[in-house]
Amino acid sequence: MDPVILADGISRSFPSGRALDSLSLQVNRGEVLALLGPNGAGKTTTVRILNGVLAPDSGEALVLGLNPLREGDELRRRTGVLTENAGLDDRLSARENLEFVARVRGFTKAAAGLKAAEALERFGLADRADFPVQGASTGQRKRLALARALIHDPEVLFLDEPTSGLDPAATREVMALISSLAQQDGRTVILCTHFLGEAGRLADRMAVLYKGQLQAIGRPQDLASEMWPGIPARIELSRPADARVLGIVRRVEGVLEALSTDEGLRIESTHHDVLSQVIAALLRAKIMVYAAIPDPYSLEDVYFAIEAQAIANETLPESEQPIKVSTAAHHDRQVGTT
Amino acid sequence: MTFTPRHRRYTPQQTGVPRPNWNAIRAVIHKDNLAIRRSKAVMIPMLVVPTILLVVVPFLIGLTARGKDAGVESMLRALPSNLTAPITSLPEAQQLLVLINGYLLAPLFLIVPLMVSSVLAADAFAGEKERRTMEALLHLPISNRDLFIAKLLGAFIPAVAISWIGFVVFAVVTNAVGWSVMHRIFIPTKLWTVVILWVAPAVAMLGLGVMVRVSARTRTTQEANQLGGAVVLPLIFLAVGQSTGLMLLDLPVALAIGAVIWAVALWLVVRGARLFTRDKIATQV
Repeated sequence: MDPVILADGISRSFPSGRALDSLSLQVNRGEVLALLGPNGAGKTTTVRILNGVLAPDSGEALVLGLNPLREGDELRRRTGVLTENAGLDDRLSARENLEFVARVRGFTKAAAGLKAAEALERFGLADRADFPVQGASTGQRKRLALARALIHDPEVLFLDEPTSGLDPAATREVMALISSLAQQDGRTVILCTHFLGEAGRLADRMAVLYKGQLQAIGRPQDLASEMWPGIPARIELSRPADARVLGIVRRVEGVLEALSTDEGLRIESTHHDVLSQVIAALLRAKIMVYAAIPDPYSLEDVYFAIEAQAIANETLPESEQPIKVSTAAHHDRQVGTT
Repeated sequence: MTFTPRHRRYTPQQTGVPRPNWNAIRAVIHKDNLAIRRSKAVMIPMLVVPTILLVVVPFLIGLTARGKDAGVESMLRALPSNLTAPITSLPEAQQLLVLINGYLLAPLFLIVPLMVSSVLAADAFAGEKERRTMEALLHLPISNRDLFIAKLLGAFIPAVAISWIGFVVFAVVTNAVGWSVMHRIFIPTKLWTVVILWVAPAVAMLGLGVMVRVSARTRTTQEANQLGGAVVLPLIFLAVGQSTGLMLLDLPVALAIGAVIWAVALWLVVRGARLFTRDKIATQV
């Protein structure tokens, strides 16, 4: 276990209200952590604090063993950030934008030129290299911004809404790029997004923020198992399961829950092999089974359940709010009640 | 890798003042200047105003001075005689040229460094916010101080350079067009030398100081220019109006005015630098 990011009780308020409330988390080297939450959840504030752009009101952080505020420049030499708005200078060409960043990052003029050329080639922008960014499409801008974030081969990459504003084709293209980047060289990636599909495809773990508070952190399957103890599966009968069918299924040992659906039923069981026993029981009762498919909870299911819980908690008095979900799988700090 | 939480705001601990990162500073200056050169909205006013003030006006004055009715006795009579003595002692044909191009244009010339530095500073500070490029800049490894220096020099150097180049052009035009009247090179005068080398850079810095403060409170270049103009221009016109008479002859007064402008400008810049922190900027972008 090699922790690259440690945050301990980080809070930050703005005149408009509290943006982050006692955030604690740990991210290990080579891990992709999806920071999820609706707009205003505190994702961008988290990135800014972890990269030394904003100061927390309280709490501390260590990124790559460096204090983001006291050693901000040293840290920023080793991190790359894709901001939500690409932040490119429209009046410069793609090459000039990249050369500028490379120069600020300490490359000599010649090396900056080489780095920019390599990045343009790698991100498929060589044919637009010397045109002003003004005329580039949103997808090309995102690719250029990604190239800029990676020009110095950072150890930690912060991606803030990398696909916002992109059409489906460009989204797929950018996601494929990010996926390949995340798998390279043990690079640690913090992916802030409210698009759950991309988070589900890329992230090892997810952290859910809601109104500045960490609601849950862990692998989606671990979080799901804490919320829903059963292993879900879908059984297709080509018609909704009636009371007789549900009765047969519920009598199988290990079945925790059986609910009728349009195409059959959905069960939750204690073990994976319970599913085969359920199929056997149905077949013995001469009930035709067309398909039986393990149907694990998706990141999307987990996210919405956590968000719903957070919304419900808002209406409860503080003393009655339940403990938030945090899996111990990656030795996260315990996220206590608020 | 554990630490004890301390619930307080961070206070940067510095061990000595780090040296400026000139590589990064030069990169920011180069980028800003490159971008400016491609912006017609910035370049056109920056070139038109100096051209009118430093080429067209002295050229027309020079042509007028060649005419027969170029006397300025009535104008000179309105001024204190001790101030106008060096002009009234000249041949009548030379008086208009020396009065306007040699003296009265000098304070007016200060509009050039002021305008150029203000426009560039507005683009460098408020413009980054408006174009939404500031946040990406804040995530780069350049300290607040170095970024501020880069933005400051990126506006100051071109403002002074344009002023100085403009003055050389002005001197060439004025001497050329006035040669038939003067039969000698009469620009630069001592007053012009003080204005160019001492007062103009001070005024450029004053424009910067005001725009740095103004840009911290505005979100667009236009807002910054409007607010900056509203603050600076009345002061400058007042100063120009008041100083024109004095500067006719009194060189120490010109030096003193320059010193006062430098003091105010540096005070504004230092105050502005304190507002230029990542935390403060990031809360506005």
